[in-house]
Amino acid sequence: MTSNNSFSSRSHSRLSLQGSFEQASRWSPRSENELFDAFSPTEFISVVNQTLEYAYSSVMIVGEVASFKVNQGKWVFFDIKDEEASISCFMTLWSLRVPLEDGMKVVVRAVPKLTKWGKFSLTVSAVQPVGEGSLKKAYEMLKKKLTAEGLFDAAKKRSLPEDLTKLGVISSTQAAGYADFVKIMNARWGGIKVQVAHTQVQGMDAPDQIIRALRYFNERAEVQVITILRGGGSADDLACFNDEALVREIAGSRIPVITGIGHEVDESLSDLAADVRASTPSNVAEMLTKNRAEVSSEISRMMSRMRQILIQQVEQAMDVNRDKVARISRGLVVKYIEPMLESNKAKMTQLLQKIRGEVTFFTKALQDKLKLVEALNPEKVLRQGYAIVSGKISLGMLIKIITMNNEIEAEVKKVKERK
Amino acid sequence: MVEKLSLNQKIEKLDAEVEWFYSDEFELEDAVPRYKEAAKLAKEIEKDLNELKNEIEVLTEDFSK
Repeated sequence: MTSNNSFSSRSHSRLSLQGSFEQASRWSPRSENELFDAFSPTEFISVVNQTLEYAYSSVMIVGEVASFKVNQGKWVFFDIKDEEASISCFMTLWSLRVPLEDGMKVVVRAVPKLTKWGKFSLTVSAVQPVGEGSLKKAYEMLKKKLTAEGLFDAAKKRSLPEDLTKLGVISSTQAAGYADFVKIMNARWGGIKVQVAHTQVQGMDAPDQIIRALRYFNERAEVQVITILRGGGSADDLACFNDEALVREIAGSRIPVITGIGHEVDESLSDLAADVRASTPSNVAEMLTKNRAEVSSEISRMMSRMRQILIQQVEQAMDVNRDKVARISRGLVVKYIEPMLESNKAKMTQLLQKIRGEVTFFTKALQDKLKLVEALNPEKVLRQGYAIVSGKISLGMLIKIITMNNEIEAEVKKVKERK
Repeated sequence: MVEKLSLNQKIEKLDAEVEWFYSDEFELEDAVPRYKEAAKLAKEIEKDLNELKNEIEVLTEDFSK
């Protein structure tokens, strides 16, 4: 409701005059002028709402859900309470992006107001479960609902392109997860054009920002893949990735989406809706890119294999040629060398025989000569009992007589001729 | 004019050469010049790998509104 200027001016003057509650309770109208300056209920409610809007344009309140209901399929009513107080809450169903039920602990972002019936309530713009128990409950409820709708069907998943050249990134550029992703991607590969949409990645505003970024990339269709990145955090930190509208936007993206949210154990509904889920932002970089070190090693292996094959083939060819040469050589030997050798062998044999013959002949001749020499050997004569006499044979002369065993010196006593 | 090959195209071409070495079409007479060409291609690939850089652009669009 908006107020006109006359209400505003009277509201300020009245409020400044009102003072404390005690003063107001002692007040009573003393003149018609004072009655003329009094608020009507409508005016007063308007004044109060203006004041509330000025003082609390947006307030965050944590409490437990009670009396949750949906009217006419459009309006959501519940109370948010603690041990001592309770405030009514109202919101539209399309603003409700997580399932709620009584007992869940939630945080609401709302504007307080007074209804025209004088009832104080909160007009809620966003609500999110808080605490592990409530978050888990909301997660399970929404997962069941969206699974039944087929949002997470495996058949809908698309694979990532092999040759990635254009990538859309949705993340907080100040976050560690983003920094890790960039570091790993740059180390592993290059040649990729990356457009980065800086958004919040936790808190109530995160889902809408990520949705806008998804629509930005889908409308322009300039990238081949969109990745949503967020490093590790608590269940509350990661709760935005279980926002229904965000999950539906991811599932409906025309461009394939890969998520890298939290750690391996943190599975969000956004992960289930995405085409591919990586365990961490770093893992996204690993899944999207080749590793240049591995490619380099593979190139070396390919060259090594070609070298081996080449060497093997050359050696085989050499073996084949060696055989050929051997065969040819053998052929030549058989045809020319062996006959030549055979012919020479015959000649050699003849020569040898001739030499042997000569040797035999001369050996025999030598032996004959030796026998002759032996026969003329004086020792042989002596062994037969004869003696050798030497010296002048005349009377009175000394002569030497040699027998087999002695040498005798004798004087010639008598000489007589033999007849 | 010879078209400049992208890195991935060069890798595919080298892959094809390796396949030829394993194939029945292998001929020793052609193998040596092909090996030399492959070695030259491998060197180019290494150079490209070392020089490869990503272009990262942070969009100026304000996604909070």
